[in-house]
Amino acid sequence: MVVTKGASLLFIIIGLVGASISILLGFIWVPSLDPSTVNGPESFRIIYWHVSFAWCSFLAFLLLFIGSIIWYLKKDEIGWRCFSVGSDMGLLFGMGVITSGPIWGSVAWGKPWDWGDLRLNSFALLTSVALFLVLARRAQQDTNQTRDTLSIVGLFGFSLVPITAMATTWYQNQHPPIVVVSSEDTGLPSDMLFVLILSFISFCFIFVGFSIITDRIHQLELKMENNQINLDEGWLN
Amino acid sequence: MVGDALLELKDLNVLRGSREVLKDVNFKLNYGEIVVLVGDNGAGKSTFIESCAGIVPFKNGELYFHDEENSQNLIRNHQGRQSNIPKIGVTLQKDGICGEETVEERILIVSEKSYKNSDADKLGQILSDWGLNHRKSDRVSLLSGGLKRRLSVICGLAPAIFSPKPMPVLLDEPSVGLDKSARILFINWIRTMASRGHGIIIATHNNDVIKCADRIIKIGKKGKIKESIGKSEGTIVEMPACNSSSNLISIRDLTSWAMKMEIRNPIDTVGRATPALVALLLSYSIIEGNGPLSVDILSSLILLPAFITCIISPAIINRFNEAECGKWWHIMLGSKIRPISSFLGASMILPIPLTYLSWFILIGNKSDEYSYDALLWLWLPTLSLITVGMASSALHFLVSDLRRSNSSAGSLLLIALIWPFLELSDALSILMTSGMSYSLSIQSPIIGCIIASISSMLIWIVVVYLPDY
Repeated sequence: MVVTKGASLLFIIIGLVGASISILLGFIWVPSLDPSTVNGPESFRIIYWHVSFAWCSFLAFLLLFIGSIIWYLKKDEIGWRCFSVGSDMGLLFGMGVITSGPIWGSVAWGKPWDWGDLRLNSFALLTSVALFLVLARRAQQDTNQTRDTLSIVGLFGFSLVPITAMATTWYQNQHPPIVVVSSEDTGLPSDMLFVLILSFISFCFIFVGFSIITDRIHQLELKMENNQINLDEGWLN
Repeated sequence: MVGDALLELKDLNVLRGSREVLKDVNFKLNYGEIVVLVGDNGAGKSTFIESCAGIVPFKNGELYFHDEENSQNLIRNHQGRQSNIPKIGVTLQKDGICGEETVEERILIVSEKSYKNSDADKLGQILSDWGLNHRKSDRVSLLSGGLKRRLSVICGLAPAIFSPKPMPVLLDEPSVGLDKSARILFINWIRTMASRGHGIIIATHNNDVIKCADRIIKIGKKGKIKESIGKSEGTIVEMPACNSSSNLISIRDLTSWAMKMEIRNPIDTVGRATPALVALLLSYSIIEGNGPLSVDILSSLILLPAFITCIISPAIINRFNEAECGKWWHIMLGSKIRPISSFLGASMILPIPLTYLSWFILIGNKSDEYSYDALLWLWLPTLSLITVGMASSALHFLVSDLRRSNSSAGSLLLIALIWPFLELSDALSILMTSGMSYSLSIQSPIIGCIIASISSMLIWIVVVYLPDY
């Protein structure tokens, strides 16, 4: 227990320090972008956190999906642990994506939200599913039926991705695309790429640290619930 | 016939969280047998009853019902519900009756009888014996707790009383709330029913009821069961009987029940129409205060009231949640309940008049500024909105599976329905500006409506079929 707590705290501290350094480097070291290639070149610096949030939330949603599948098909406890950690992490990092995204979008696109942008909308949907799962898990009694229903909601979240892809593609075809001077496919300069990778690795540390803590908390809650049930039975007998 | 099994649980394991509430349970309910389940609070008695009714997910094991030829019908295993349950009598811990129903209606639903047949007087006899005949036209919500429990017990017994064939009867805490005379009546009736071949399982803490058991099953720690022989008390008495066959509860029964409840108390219609009309009046104020709006915004505002009616939680969910009424229907209809309930719960009629009302209020005498096709084809996006309503209703039903569904933020899942709405708004704005086009291009309003309907139906299919797959 002490080892787990120490290791997770170490991961989080390393991650926070790395993330702070990367955003500092983003502001003071890496150059600004050419104003002729992007709208709002200074706002582009939010990429160092926004992209890391997005990649980590992708990892979290993947964990949530794997956990949902394992619980749905096998009713295995490891599936439920993946599901619980995935939904908590999905909410945390997903919120990071959908708050940093509109800040950047309002400068780069001239509006904070685009209903035709697949990535933005998929992340928003998955984050709202993660929020639902976190709130529901806390409010419900931990029964098999609850787990079944919530794992189905987890799978539903993922089934939304292709449906959203279809809907947004159609929507994009209906509406003229937002004018961005250059596409994001343009390769990043090596110093920017370095800061981005440093930021992502730091966020991964934070991700692992929080995942260990979250999983540990869930295990302790489960243990406490079982102990309480044993106490109930002991008192009645 | 006595001695053969009516119902059988094989190697049953049921989890509550990570804890096994029932472990390696092997159980047979024989013809003409009264089995009483005992155990502490939370031991798993209700879970046992619900496992026999086929509505609890199994970690392992199978539930079989045997017919008269002694062939086994697999009802449920670890993969979910496999087939429909044959006719059974069920009394749930929380009655399982919606307060809007009348006493007589309820008895007729559970026993699948109509007024016109010869058994109507026997129904009256049952109600008289239980002191409910003078209350038969009253709504259940007007009954006291004790009378409600009597009705709930009768509803559990009635299918067996009116069945010429022996059947299982599952009663969860039937004696709670019954006075002494009702309890004695109950004990004598179940003894008489057992003598007619029916198999009865009762979960109880009451000593009088425990004494009437032929077999006692104690659910102990770690979910293990222990069996002992009961005292088989109780007297065989005169009670109504019927030899005409009755039908299984069907989708038609649920449909007519849902419509009857809504006509009696139209909370669904009022609950959907009120916010839609408020939205319409607010939209009118915005248009009046700000001068002409773009066609895109105007088309969204026209469809907004209908969209609001579609995404509101259906009243049938509240009716199902009342005293576990939905659980009773779930036992009777099995996996069919989800698609049919999401269909019944969807707003089918309101979107059409609301959209036309919205058009006339928001466009008014400016309709000349827009293509005539818009008014002619306004029904098309409105019909597509009904599929959005079905998807929304299915999502609400999925969330209602949770025990404390009211404390879950189910509205977060409805965000997925924004795209079909946006697509329909686009289709209407094209209709308003360019009129109807019959081409198969993406710019065609027909294709827009089809895509919106397909995305909604995909969501509906995922939400309706995943839970029972």
